[in-house]
Amino acid sequence: MADNGRKADTVTLTIDGHEVTVPKGMSLLHAAEALGVEVPHYCYHPGLSAPAQCRICLVEVEGAPKLQPSCVTMAQDGQVVHTESAQARRMRQGVLEFYLVNHPLDCPICDMSGECKLQDYVFNEGREHGRGREPKRVFGRDDFGGDVLYYGDRCVMCTRCVRFMDEVARDGRLTVVERGDRAVIDTFFESGLDGASFAGNIVDICPVGALVSKDFLHKARAWDLDHTESVCPNCSQGCNIDLHTRDNLVQRLKPRENPEVNGHWMCDYGRANYEWLNRPGRLEAPAVGRGDKRRASDWQHALHALFERLAEAGGASVRVVGSAFSSNEALGALRALGEQAGTLQAGVFRSRRAEDEDPLPGFPILVRRRDLAPNVDGAGILGFTRVGDDDGAGGLEEAADHDGVLIVVGDELADQDESFGAKAGLFVYLGTFDSPAARNADFVLPVTTFAEEEGTFVNAQGRVQRFRQGLRGPGTVQPAWLVLGTLLAALTGGDRPVSAADAFASIVQRHAAFGGLTWDGVGSAGAALEAAHA
Amino acid sequence: MAISVKVMRRPEVGRTSYMRATLKGMSLTFKHMVNPTKVTLQYPEEQPDLHPRWRGTHRMEVHADGRPKCVACGLCPTVCPANCIRLVGGEDDQGNRYPIVYEIDEFRCIFCGMCQEVCPVEAIHVGRHFENAEYSRDRFVYDLDRLMEQDHPTTLLWDPSDSRSE
Repeated sequence: MADNGRKADTVTLTIDGHEVTVPKGMSLLHAAEALGVEVPHYCYHPGLSAPAQCRICLVEVEGAPKLQPSCVTMAQDGQVVHTESAQARRMRQGVLEFYLVNHPLDCPICDMSGECKLQDYVFNEGREHGRGREPKRVFGRDDFGGDVLYYGDRCVMCTRCVRFMDEVARDGRLTVVERGDRAVIDTFFESGLDGASFAGNIVDICPVGALVSKDFLHKARAWDLDHTESVCPNCSQGCNIDLHTRDNLVQRLKPRENPEVNGHWMCDYGRANYEWLNRPGRLEAPAVGRGDKRRASDWQHALHALFERLAEAGGASVRVVGSAFSSNEALGALRALGEQAGTLQAGVFRSRRAEDEDPLPGFPILVRRRDLAPNVDGAGILGFTRVGDDDGAGGLEEAADHDGVLIVVGDELADQDESFGAKAGLFVYLGTFDSPAARNADFVLPVTTFAEEEGTFVNAQGRVQRFRQGLRGPGTVQPAWLVLGTLLAALTGGDRPVSAADAFASIVQRHAAFGGLTWDGVGSAGAALEAAHA
Repeated sequence: MAISVKVMRRPEVGRTSYMRATLKGMSLTFKHMVNPTKVTLQYPEEQPDLHPRWRGTHRMEVHADGRPKCVACGLCPTVCPANCIRLVGGEDDQGNRYPIVYEIDEFRCIFCGMCQEVCPVEAIHVGRHFENAEYSRDRFVYDLDRLMEQDHPTTLLWDPSDSRSE
């Protein structure tokens, strides 16, 4: 009788001849997924309600009088389910034929081609040749506003987009107009989706090419894109994303599922802001010398010279300027280097702040935060103080006139003039772009952006999240943690970090807030910091 | 290993006649004089008759209004085993998808003809053509205009019902 408690939580059923035990209340579709059996589906999406209207996930359940929609049929004890029986296959083939009655089959010019569910299912199980002889109805395309274009001809009327706007964005701007084969998705008023801040998600959840992104229109084929697990760098929510890259350029950002942070979604602001990662004109090689004496150099000579200068400067007062776009590894190494090189006066960073937050009503954990940088919280934990105004300007007066050692990492100093750092005994600038304010730098060292290196950010929930390298950096750029960690190791006589995991391990060692975390433990889903921080 | 030489025994000079072999050879010569088999082609006055499935340099088909037929679907750069096709898609002023950049590096091309076979709109073809000489190497990267200007006949697609093109 001790089994009773457990029996109440799980059910055991047979799917395609394999027995599987799943939690009670799970749908047949998910139970099949647990076995590795994909049941085709359009209208069902794990983040939305299940209307069971697309009729393609029907499966045969022994004892049931007819085929059952697997997305809304709950798994029951002793059920025997066939997803590949002759009846289920014949039904799917028939449903797919109906979907193709008016589908234009314009896969060559459709942006969804290659990741389209209609293409996949028809390729797997559809008829080899169409039997339709009648002309297809034609709608053309409709500009929904925002970043979204609608191709009515390709639509399979799954209504995922309508339900997303109703249930998750809670901003019912879309609806189905007309019925039968004249049914289309449409907006209500002239404004369409303009001003909706999460509408880009309907492009992701559209199973076919009916909703496409204007930004990505005709830009690249889906099969040409490389996907890299990353973290959205555009606000401190740190939505989990995939960088889609091609030709060493970011082509688009797509949300990656993480129920603790962003669910299946991301905001349009984050999605649209990726072009800065592709900006040309980067710093590519180290340079040594102040003002007009600046000369191109290489890493070996530059780091040797810098090490000697830092060793000479021992005991001087040190100021460091970090950036909320830098990884924890870079900021941790910067702080440690500042403490090692002399007396650290202050570590500061600047960051832009939006006027308000923008939450997603149907998934309240996801908020477009005020801080428009990914690692504001990480910088705070690592002992950096926020300075400057909400535009990310000002606040560097003390650093500008500092007369000791000044190290700037990642901040482009856009609002500073050429006198910045003129009085500094030693001014080191690690950045991605040259800047007039870096004119007085004794060392200009080119570093990678977050997309060109591995590392971690801490998001606004106090969650450490890893990002991976998606792009090759230009020239001889190096990750900032490697440059700073090498200098630190040379000053202390320790081992230099050879991977981001090493750099992470050293910040875990130095900062109690990261206590207990390991590089592998953070993994692709992230890990929460100690409650002490929150 | 030592080299061994095998000495052939031949009739001594003066004790054999070569007349029979000479006459045999001359008869063949005179036969060809009377009834010649032509082998040499008087190129360039005479052009060779290329096989219908000869695969030479590419050609892009155009619509009646002069636009390329290509819709920038990206299948030819995907299928190309030599990776010699560069394609950048975009949208023209009528809202059609079209190739902004379409380049084929004919040096890198192995003339397999898979681009023609995969093309869903019958835009790119390999041609029955072989006179490709140029004065500079960079002229061998054919851009879209060059491909549209080519006017030589195109290769016949492989026909499963007529597998030997007969």
